[in-house]
Amino acid sequence: MWFQVANTALGIWLMAAPAVLDYGAPAASVDRVLGPTVAAVALIAASEVTRGFRLLNVPIGVALLVVPGLLGYETPALANSIAIGAAIILLAIPRGRIKHQVGGGWRSLAE
Amino acid sequence: MGSSLENRPPGWSYNPSRWNQRLPIVALALLGTAIAAYLSLYQLNLIEDVWEPFFADGSRRILESKISHILPIPDAVLGALGYLLDALTGVIGGRDRWRRMPWIVVIFGLAVGPLGLVSVILVILQPVLFDAFCTLCLLSAVISVVMIGPALDELLASLQHLKRIRRQGGSVWRTFWGIDPAAGQPTDLKQVEA
Repeated sequence: MWFQVANTALGIWLMAAPAVLDYGAPAASVDRVLGPTVAAVALIAASEVTRGFRLLNVPIGVALLVVPGLLGYETPALANSIAIGAAIILLAIPRGRIKHQVGGGWRSLAE
Repeated sequence: MGSSLENRPPGWSYNPSRWNQRLPIVALALLGTAIAAYLSLYQLNLIEDVWEPFFADGSRRILESKISHILPIPDAVLGALGYLLDALTGVIGGRDRWRRMPWIVVIFGLAVGPLGLVSVILVILQPVLFDAFCTLCLLSAVISVVMIGPALDELLASLQHLKRIRRQGGSVWRTFWGIDPAAGQPTDLKQVEA
């Protein structure tokens, strides 16, 4: 759960970063779209039964690593995107502790 | 009576339909209803101004934007109705509703999921299209997303139950509507209740 709380915070940071670090489009638009998406995915994945959602944040983290090169970001936005993107990926991969049993989970429906 | 093991779905370590699981979601839904109702008052011109502690005229700009009036009724009114549906479908039914009333659990899950999705889309549109944020809209979005995970465990329990009934050759249709829930009662639950 704490990995997901951390990714929620990183998503919220991405929403605020354009104002705090003072950078504009295209980086600001990308971060304002991906930030709330990361935060929403992580908040949903904080619950054990929907923990699988966290993996959606891996491709979003990869996008944060790749897009700055494609769109030619300037320094503060570039460094921020790469650092935050890498952190999001690392935090999205571990499943974290699962305390409850839920009858085999969603996978049991496909058996 | 009242034990945490009572009415547990087979293979579960807790009962997702217990009140301590559901009441926090209902409370969040009611808070969301109140916030959306307040924003509706502004969008319907029933109040002059809207509370905005952080983003200057952000709330006004967003609540008056074209996107928020893209439908015949303002988006906050729709949000309030959505939250109210979440609260109602969260509170209806007893501690065994995951197997006695799958229909209400499914409506609950369907109400909570899309409401959260729409909220996130609106949060994304705010700064990108209007270069503004709206504090209460953001709070409302957080509430609608926080409800999703805790609501979906019950949906999972109901879907697993319907699948079990089908395997046992029972009527999924009748079980879904709660017409003969006892017929599909798993044996371990019968023992618990005996």
